[in-house]
Amino acid sequence: MAGSAVSDELDRLIHERMRLGIVSALAAEDSMSFADLKHVLRTSDGNLSVHARKLEEAGYIKVSKGYEDRKPKTDYRLTAKGRRALEGYLEKMEAILSEARDALERS
Amino acid sequence: MTIPRHEDRENAKETLEYIRRTMESASTFTAVSGWGLVTVGGVGLLAAWLAWSGNQDADLRIWIPAAIVSVMIAVAFNVAKARRQDVPIWSGAIRRLAWVMTPTLGVGALLTFALTAQGTPQLLPGTWLAIYGAGVTAGAEFSVRAIRWMGVLFVGIGAVALFRPEWGLALLAAGFGGLHMVIGLDIMLRHGG
Repeated sequence: MAGSAVSDELDRLIHERMRLGIVSALAAEDSMSFADLKHVLRTSDGNLSVHARKLEEAGYIKVSKGYEDRKPKTDYRLTAKGRRALEGYLEKMEAILSEARDALERS
Repeated sequence: MTIPRHEDRENAKETLEYIRRTMESASTFTAVSGWGLVTVGGVGLLAAWLAWSGNQDADLRIWIPAAIVSVMIAVAFNVAKARRQDVPIWSGAIRRLAWVMTPTLGVGALLTFALTAQGTPQLLPGTWLAIYGAGVTAGAEFSVRAIRWMGVLFVGIGAVALFRPEWGLALLAAGFGGLHMVIGLDIMLRHGG
């Protein structure tokens, strides 16, 4: 959708596919570990880290680090801001489809 | 807002589908019931004890009913967990496990009758363990790592049982009893029951 008037109205931060995947997965589960999120999104450690950091910096997700069985464990959680951003994004997507349907009916 | 271009419309459809798929994968990822696995492990241990008491490792009069009861328990516990977590019962991890396990269990039944008919029942424990492990390993692609490891370990235990048939009953107890219980406890503690 790059360059179109419609895409200009979208939240660029979660428009990127991997970040949209992270936010969507965390909207479905209260909390997910780095390993589980990586498995669900079928991505690499580096890719997930980079995109998760951007979402964390924006306040869309919350990261907590701890230990499990003496091994480091990172858990992610969606914040209220992140949930609102996903809801807004979904509304935009649905509006695109609804307007396309209206235009189709008018033609 | 301007009228969306065809490209925008197609992208929106595809994006909504991606969001739906990702949410479904995440929510059913942990839908396998730990309680169910622990209970199935209990059935496995009970069956092993009955077989040991009867002095017949692969006694079909014990293991076939145990397998049927285990499948029923697994279905009941997974449905209950899916309802509790408010996720679709027939989707994601559970659907894939069921699709892979059904032909796997069918092949297991076929081999059971073939090996019995050929007079090699000593190979049954290894065959059951290895086939079950192969099915779980393949079906657990979209589930928690513990399930995949359980599948791999079942294949390993099955391989040992095929080459050391005299350990068959102990390995059946270790696999269908102990391993189910250990992995079930792990899922209960880490993934909400």
